[in-house]
Amino acid sequence: MTPFEEKLRNALRREAAPEGFAERVVARTRRETQPGAKAWWQFWAFVSARVFRWALAAAVVCVVIGGGLVQRHRQDRLRQEGELARVQVRQALHIASVKLNVTRKRVQEINREAPSSRL
Amino acid sequence: MKVTKGRSKSAAILFGALLMGAFVPAAFGQNPKLDIQNLEPLAKKASEVVDVNLDGALLRLAGKFMTDEDDREGLEIIKNLKGIYVKNFEFAKPNEYSQADVEAIRGQLQTPSWSRIVSAQNKPEGETSEIYLMTASDGGTVLGMAIIDAQPKELTVVNIVGPIDMDKLSQLEGKMGIPRLGEVGKESKKVEGHHEKSK
Repeated sequence: MTPFEEKLRNALRREAAPEGFAERVVARTRRETQPGAKAWWQFWAFVSARVFRWALAAAVVCVVIGGGLVQRHRQDRLRQEGELARVQVRQALHIASVKLNVTRKRVQEINREAPSSRL
Repeated sequence: MKVTKGRSKSAAILFGALLMGAFVPAAFGQNPKLDIQNLEPLAKKASEVVDVNLDGALLRLAGKFMTDEDDREGLEIIKNLKGIYVKNFEFAKPNEYSQADVEAIRGQLQTPSWSRIVSAQNKPEGETSEIYLMTASDGGTVLGMAIIDAQPKELTVVNIVGPIDMDKLSQLEGKMGIPRLGEVGKESKKVEGHHEKSK
């Protein structure tokens, strides 16, 4: 027997399996051969990646639409407040102007009547 | 230690100056804004109420929306104002408000910085109209205006804070939807009274 044959025989000689090897192989075989288990995990990985992408896209759309709505609501409210303030300014100036002129007119009448009453 | 004392002294002086700055104008009645909140309860008795409270920010906001052609004069008037406060109560029957209500406002106008420039009284009818102006110490700049118009069935208090041009305000009549005096229907009443120039 040549040295090469000797090395080959040593390399290919039978060895006992490590402790618990057979049990681990059986357990793994059982797990992987359960109906749909692997497929479910594969499906979930696929779906979850898609769901995440869709959820992200939906969130972005919601933020953009929501932000736009909030902005529009703010502008509407500001416009309403501005219009109300405008109406109030007109009303206030109306009253102030009328009262100012009424008072002035009364004083003018008093001044007109005063000389004639002395006659 | 000395540095700390010096700093605290400076801080005390600064604080004192700020305090004086805050209180001296008030002490001398330099604030043209009147407290007219005491009239609030009259709203319950009144048949018609106009209550306008516009501070500087609201006036500026209103100004942005006064874009119509007939708003031009009004915009010019409110341009530099810091506030417009109006309370107008119309009552279904006379004597729904007390003289104390009016006196509470009038009392605030008895400071040296306010001058009653016009007063018209119709004693038999129980009508009083007064116009007050607050001017700056230089005598030229108008800081505010107040109008009290007390009639048996109507009480009006107008308080304008800021430099108001009375002539421009008066000329608004017939503009901005403001009726001319002849249309108001109150000018024909015979009145007695006096014209009092600022003291």
